Amino acid sequence: MRPILLQGHERSLTQIKFNADGDLLFSCSKDNVINVWFSHNGERLGTYEGHNGAVWTVDVDPESKFLVSGSADNQLRLWQVATGKCLYTWEFPTAVKRVAFNEEGTQVVCITEQRMGHQCAIRVFDINAEDGAKQSKEPRYMFNPIGSKATVCAFTLQPNIIITGHESGKVALFNVKSGEEVENNERAHSEVVTDLQLSKDRTYCITSSKDKAARIHDTKNLMVIKTFNTETPLNSAALAPNRPYVLLGGGQEAMSVTTTSLRQGKFETRFWHKVFEEEVGRVKGHFGPINTIAVHPAGTCYASGGEDGFVRVHHFDDTYFKAKPYGDLEIFD
Amino acid sequence: EDAAEESNVSAELIAHRKRLVDEWNAWRLLRRKELGGADRPQSTDESKEEIE
Repeated sequence: MRPILLQGHERSLTQIKFNADGDLLFSCSKDNVINVWFSHNGERLGTYEGHNGAVWTVDVDPESKFLVSGSADNQLRLWQVATGKCLYTWEFPTAVKRVAFNEEGTQVVCITEQRMGHQCAIRVFDINAEDGAKQSKEPRYMFNPIGSKATVCAFTLQPNIIITGHESGKVALFNVKSGEEVENNERAHSEVVTDLQLSKDRTYCITSSKDKAARIHDTKNLMVIKTFNTETPLNSAALAPNRPYVLLGGGQEAMSVTTTSLRQGKFETRFWHKVFEEEVGRVKGHFGPINTIAVHPAGTCYASGGEDGFVRVHHFDDTYFKAKPYGDLEIFD
Repeated sequence: EDAAEESNVSAELIAHRKRLVDEWNAWRLLRRKELGGADRPQSTDESKEEIE
């Protein structure tokens, strides 16, 4: 499994995302830039330039027509994927920490940060797909989540219900129309929730936390289905389609490893069996903590983005697909 | 037989894993059925059900 190293960012990666076809990989970084790469060879296809602050978050619609990004410059931007053109900019009082499209690509949910007298806010915008440059300035819905501020979010299958992860470790379901918290698990994690990624059918999700654990939750009722306990704070967790694995990334910054001459860093992506909750393997590579992991929608490769400023794309080889570490039991996705 | 000998996995552990997989698959089938049968996994149980 020889990795492809994507060199194009000057600062740490914050989020990476495959498009629905998996041929494109989007990456955003503290260097204010979003890059798009061909996932099969790592060639850079283009950039999305315009943000004046760290880009914290990015998502792409199911048609790969539009890209949304959120930044420390307090902007939410809508981009045309094919041309790199910024079509629309929304401005807020504080930074945009997380964005996500709904399943149809007709709405975007975004989280803005709690800062300087402003509460954490969650807004939902309708996306005008006919004319990308003509968007409504005002959100369709807006509310301030009660209690701990939200750090991550995604649309569930239920209309107007989003799932959120919070600074306190809480995972919750909110009705975006009313702003009401319809369900919560206050003790889903004991520290900040750092990532939340949905299964393909959106019926479950995986969260990662600084509490060193990752968990699979049922998005309907927030029941914790599985727990993966590691020995390092986690920044990201991803589900591997068609294989019974989850991929976990994180790591504590160690001062002593800064002067290494090795080609490979020590920070590892951990593979865990999602049903047995056992670690099955690790992939080394990054020189600093892993901030974000994404798996190709067909499960053929994965990418990790690091504090070291690199994106590494690993295409799985035959042994990965043939391996049956725990026998012949069929495990549904 | 050879495979069983090679592995250090006890019968108890195999039974435990079987149970975990059964629980997981039962939950997955439940959620998928709620989705209206789209995207159903290809399993023998499932095809039997459809024949019925």
